[in-house]
Amino acid sequence: MLQCIFLLSDSGEVLLEKQLTGHRVDRSICAWFWEQSIAQGDSFKFMPVIASPTHYIFQVFREGITFLACTQVEMPPLMATEFLCRVADVLSDYLGGLNEDLIKDNFVIVYELLDEMIDNGFPLTTEPNILREMIAPPNIVSKVLSVVTGTSSNVSNTLPVATASCVPWRKMDPKNTSNEVYVDLVEEMDAIISRDGTLVKCEIYGEVQVNSHLSGLPDLTLSFANASILNDVRFHPCVRLRPWESQQILSFVPPDGQFKLMSYRVKKLKNIPIYVKPQLSSDSGICRISVLVGIKNDPRKPIDSITVEFQLPPCVLSANLTPNHGTVNILANKTCSWSIGRLPKDKAPSLSGTLVLAAGLERLPVFPTFQVGFRVMGTALSGLQIDKLDFKNLPSRPYKGFRGLTRAGEYQVRS
Amino acid sequence: MFTQFGATAESLSKASTMVFRIGTDAHLYDDPDDVNIAPLLDSKFDSEKCEALKRLLALIAQGFDVSNFFPQVVKNVASQSIEVKKLVYLYLLHYAEKRPNEALLSINYFQKDLGDTNPLVRAWALRTMAGIRLHVIAPLVLVAVSKCARDPSVYVRKCAANALPKVHDLRLEENTAAIEELVGFLLNDNSPGVIGAAAAAFASVCPTNLSLIGRNYRRLCETLPDVEEWGQIVLIGILLRYAIARHGLVKESIMLSSRDLENIASENGASDTYQKGNEDSNAYFGLKESNADLTNGVCKSEVVDIVSRSYLEGPDKYLSKHRCADVLSSELEGLHFTSAKDNEDIKILLLCTSPLLWSHNSAVVLAAAGVHWIMAPKEDIQKIVKPLLFLMRSSNSSKYVVLCNIQVFSKAVPSLFAPHFEDFFMSPSDSYQVKALKLEILSTIATESSISSIFQEFQDYVKDPDRKFAADTVAAIGLCAQQFPKVANTCLEGLLALASHESTYGDNAATDGEAIVLLQAIYSIKAIIGKDPSSNEKVIVHLIRSLESIRVPAARGMIIWMVGEYSDIGNVIPKVLPVVLKYLARCFTVEEVETKLQILNACGKVLLHSKEEELWAYRKVLSYMLDLARCDLNYDIRDRARFIKELLSCYIGSSDTEEGKAQQESRDVSRVLAGRIFGGQIKAPSSEQFSARFYLPGSLSHVVLHAAPGYEPLPRPCSLNFEDPSINSNIVEGAKRPGDGATQSESYTDDPDSVSGSLNEESTSDYSYADSIGGSDGTGGSNVSSSLSEVDVHKEPLIHLSEVGYPNANPDGGSHVDNQYSGSNNLGELISTRSLESWLDENPNSGHNLSEPSSIRKSSARISIGHIHGRVEPKICALLDPANGNGLSVDYAFSSELSSLSPLLVCLQVSFKNCSTEPMMNLQLVEDNKRQDSSDHASAMTESSSHGDVPSLVPMEEIANLGPSETINIMLQVRFRHHLLPLKLVLWCNGKTYPVKLRPDIGYFVRPLPMDIGVFSAKEAQLPGMFEYTRRCIFTDHIGELKKGDKPGTNDQFLVICECLAVKVLSNANFFLVSVDMPVSANLDDASGLRLRFSGELLSNSVPCLVTLVLEGTCFEPLNILVKVNCEETVFGLNLLNRIVNLLAEPARG
Repeated sequence: MLQCIFLLSDSGEVLLEKQLTGHRVDRSICAWFWEQSIAQGDSFKFMPVIASPTHYIFQVFREGITFLACTQVEMPPLMATEFLCRVADVLSDYLGGLNEDLIKDNFVIVYELLDEMIDNGFPLTTEPNILREMIAPPNIVSKVLSVVTGTSSNVSNTLPVATASCVPWRKMDPKNTSNEVYVDLVEEMDAIISRDGTLVKCEIYGEVQVNSHLSGLPDLTLSFANASILNDVRFHPCVRLRPWESQQILSFVPPDGQFKLMSYRVKKLKNIPIYVKPQLSSDSGICRISVLVGIKNDPRKPIDSITVEFQLPPCVLSANLTPNHGTVNILANKTCSWSIGRLPKDKAPSLSGTLVLAAGLERLPVFPTFQVGFRVMGTALSGLQIDKLDFKNLPSRPYKGFRGLTRAGEYQVRS
Repeated sequence: MFTQFGATAESLSKASTMVFRIGTDAHLYDDPDDVNIAPLLDSKFDSEKCEALKRLLALIAQGFDVSNFFPQVVKNVASQSIEVKKLVYLYLLHYAEKRPNEALLSINYFQKDLGDTNPLVRAWALRTMAGIRLHVIAPLVLVAVSKCARDPSVYVRKCAANALPKVHDLRLEENTAAIEELVGFLLNDNSPGVIGAAAAAFASVCPTNLSLIGRNYRRLCETLPDVEEWGQIVLIGILLRYAIARHGLVKESIMLSSRDLENIASENGASDTYQKGNEDSNAYFGLKESNADLTNGVCKSEVVDIVSRSYLEGPDKYLSKHRCADVLSSELEGLHFTSAKDNEDIKILLLCTSPLLWSHNSAVVLAAAGVHWIMAPKEDIQKIVKPLLFLMRSSNSSKYVVLCNIQVFSKAVPSLFAPHFEDFFMSPSDSYQVKALKLEILSTIATESSISSIFQEFQDYVKDPDRKFAADTVAAIGLCAQQFPKVANTCLEGLLALASHESTYGDNAATDGEAIVLLQAIYSIKAIIGKDPSSNEKVIVHLIRSLESIRVPAARGMIIWMVGEYSDIGNVIPKVLPVVLKYLARCFTVEEVETKLQILNACGKVLLHSKEEELWAYRKVLSYMLDLARCDLNYDIRDRARFIKELLSCYIGSSDTEEGKAQQESRDVSRVLAGRIFGGQIKAPSSEQFSARFYLPGSLSHVVLHAAPGYEPLPRPCSLNFEDPSINSNIVEGAKRPGDGATQSESYTDDPDSVSGSLNEESTSDYSYADSIGGSDGTGGSNVSSSLSEVDVHKEPLIHLSEVGYPNANPDGGSHVDNQYSGSNNLGELISTRSLESWLDENPNSGHNLSEPSSIRKSSARISIGHIHGRVEPKICALLDPANGNGLSVDYAFSSELSSLSPLLVCLQVSFKNCSTEPMMNLQLVEDNKRQDSSDHASAMTESSSHGDVPSLVPMEEIANLGPSETINIMLQVRFRHHLLPLKLVLWCNGKTYPVKLRPDIGYFVRPLPMDIGVFSAKEAQLPGMFEYTRRCIFTDHIGELKKGDKPGTNDQFLVICECLAVKVLSNANFFLVSVDMPVSANLDDASGLRLRFSGELLSNSVPCLVTLVLEGTCFEPLNILVKVNCEETVFGLNLLNRIVNLLAEPARG
């Protein structure tokens, strides 16, 4: 079981420590951790499980904050990782983001949350809806109130009723003035386009996100027109598994507010919306680079937020890149990012320029991978379609809304 | 702050958050102590209290120790404000253990809160009260927990379940039964939320008490999908263990598939080699594996076999057993099997875990997959593949862990993941570790049909900017090419192109990355060629040609090795050889050391393989190079040259014609020898898979690749029904169910052998075959004897050397020399000692000893000093001088005995002696402050607050009467609490008091921790860096001792030194002597490298503390000793180090 949780800032400062059991963990372990991560660089930063001389450390890195959990005994490592991810989710939900200042400003809330989320090293209450009832998130009203009156309490003095119910994810009797439910299909497209331009792999990782504001204890049924294209699925605990097993119908009592109902994967897709054609040719210490971007299969919805990023190889001394559309930034870590935005109508955007290689190098020995970002509003590129959404237990018919959105996930083009 | 405004985007966002910081607790975090906190805590306003508490919390967050506010904070526990309460609880839990006495003050309030009507208050009170962790209040907590376990609120019951491990953690024996009963009670709860927490409690309180599960097994299975996710993770594991302990493995499952295979193979009379390969250890692994593939093509049965055995026995135990061929008893043979098809219990487990594969918690998915992996019939196992692959997408941190598990699954059953090879293609966000794992999996699951796509990918990876990863890819290509001979040619071409491509950069760019890739490319080529050298002659020639351009010494070395190895293959190579040799000779002087060594070897081989007519030319080249090498700066090369010259003298120096017959003979011998050394077939190094350790899927040990503390392999199949009679009631109940009774009765009543009779017979015969091989085989024999010699160590002979042929082996008659071969002679003796040992239960660690590999013992011999304990005499100190005490003399000595009252107490042997002529009455030793306590009650409160930290004395029985010149010895028990200052005591005698001072000895704040050398070095490895302290000192005692016993041949000098040191240390500190290592050096006088190891653990918290002494210098001179202490408690470790150094440096008594 976990013995201690530390929150570290991106400069290695310990922001918070929360001892969970009697076997205390000295914070010197953070110093050890930070030394190691400086000495070993990036690869250490992505090690989820580290065996230090005294403890096993689990690490989750989120937006500059490192969440560390320590244990000395055997436990499922994914349990620790998953828990830290939940902590990170809940915190960023409460604080409206994650950074050093936000955590320092709200350290009391963080302590209170951690105390509710884990007891004696074992997760206690991790359901965001319940937590919200136990500990009120900071908001403008409470802030103003605290400035004016000097008193405020964010700790609720009653136990949320839901802890005792059979649907622990839902407030017992939420009263919503609005009577509506929105279902979003949010998809991410992962693709690999090889050196010679062929599509090696293309798949979609999608989520069904539901935002429900319904009163009472509604029972919803969601079905897809083409559920057979789904390759893998994972569900929110509210989904009843038997109906899915038998008829591929999602039957559930929704939590109140925004939640992720289901995530899915659709494999072996053939069409990608945009192409990126990088060309690199080296000659006597100078490498010419040109990148072309254009629409490959028109999704019939506007594609925006197009970006192309790549890492300049370490042997490149300097780069001179000019786009004919959009802007190019080269960051300190040699990441080159070209933001295009929307595709212009009149021309195909291209980036061209030269890279100066380190002395003695004739040609570029390695080739960077280009990562493409884009967004297509209003469509789910996997082709998944929601057939219908039915309600039971509702006094009046609510307003229903459906939307689709596709983003680029790990969309990589090799050069 | 605002000066930064507008500088960059980042500071802009910072500035904007400044605005939002108003009204938050920011100022409290930034300057927590800018106001006086103490008065705020005593304020009558809740808001001020709140602020003070928040400030304290901020200080805790920043790592300051604010426990001095404890008394004031505790008072506020009575506050009605829920927020104050919460904050006080947070503070209390952080410090309760440090300030136990003040924490006690809060108990009443908790008791009160437990009766509150608000369930939240009840739950908090229970959580905090249990979290305080005081032995004193454990019974109270237990009562509270059992009360809350029956609470109407689910949340409170859940907290009660969570509190059980806290109480159990206090390790109070008398409570164990009560706690386990409560666990059972809570497992019976009808709310799924409570069951999850109860399962977690079960796992940490009594994971082996599976009968608790047996009562509820089916109900638990059925509620499993409704249990909250964290409880699911634990509960799945528990149910799996129960099912195995109760019903055994499933006979259709992967775990037993290797058994089936053996059966099929032997039924078909497949081949003897197959059988041999199966049972013979590592060397035949490659052969075996390919055979298994032919037979089945689905699972690599050998791997599966290892995996399943590892799961059941723990890899350490299993692997050690595997090494000793004769202990490879067929443990699995005695097992019961059950069938997933008609055992209802197994069926329901699989049925209820399968929907969990869709859980959104990755740990749940992995745990459920683990159950299916172990229990599901082979044909159903496919189910876990997609969920596992989907897990990789959930978060970057879980990807690595999931891949670690997939790696083992895919190694055992490559066909499972083979169709999904695309999922293992790299993505740019992958870390290096993830990429490396993916590569390994890809090369494991590659099939004839997928290999071409995989190669396409590999080609892209080779150009990856991360060169280490590129090198790994090259290695993977090599592996695949060996697996699929069809693609070997394409691979070779690609690799050659890569090698020549890389070598052009090797010169100028001089980057390490390129060198690694090149080296790996050549290595892979070498491996591929090794499979079929004759048909790849062209490749070798190509490589030889590229020698000119390749500059990486290791790569050159490898190519030159190939020159030597394949010098007699094909037509072209012999033709180019003379030129190559001349080229090598020419550049010999400028080569790096490793290349030079390879050149010399290669020449030797060429000479050996060459035919008569070419011999002359080669001989010239070789002797030229030998001459060069003899003058080399590096002594390795000079040695090698001398060696080769000697060995090949018959080839080189054959110009001498007059030779005696004896010389002729010796030439023949050296010819054979040279042939053996240079021409011997090289066995492929044993596959690394074999050394891989397998832990249960989803466990931490599996990821860190060693058994984490608390790791338990699966229980022994069907162990439950024999051990636990309480299950019987369950059987009756189970038998009532229709369709169930048959299988139940079968698995209970039937003898294990009759259930799977044919299976067992086959396999046992296999094993006996293996035994006979092992016996005749050299390696088998040595293994046996090494295990024997291990046992001998515990017989405590005077001296024991485990290394063969140590020159100074038997200096005196008393020492007992044991070498590899004598070990097998006294088998009878061995058995008797063993059984005696087990009977006496003297040696709890013997299991460990057997399992420890003998790797540490390679370079030095180990002595065990037998009668050392007889010579240990603790130092006696005077507590009261007769001159000061009216003729009463009191001495004390620290005793190595352990206190029977509490492990925290140190025992002292105190002897009272009456030197006067009159009897003495009423002698008693009491603590200095005891009287004060009783005299003024007013200060009792404040006094007791500090009391927790000061040393205390267990009250001593009064000595009523001490006659003249009478001596009474008394065992005194003191709790020093790591205080090193003298303890002030008062000695009462005849109604008078004498103040005396008891000086603590840090050497006795530990108790011996028996361990063997393997455990010791493992522990030592865990405590590097800041936990390791060293100092040097000079030791002289031994000189006198050596001179005293300076009669020739009576005693070994080393032994005397060791004994001196060991006696000195053990007389002054309560340690366990782990081992004495002796250097194996030519110089008899040189004691350098002599190494003594001691181990102990701290009395207070059982933290291990390791001491190593390393000697330098010669026997009759003062020795320079390096003292090293490894201990997690830094302060203690440093103090101990100083103490040891002082005691070693001070001259001997008398």
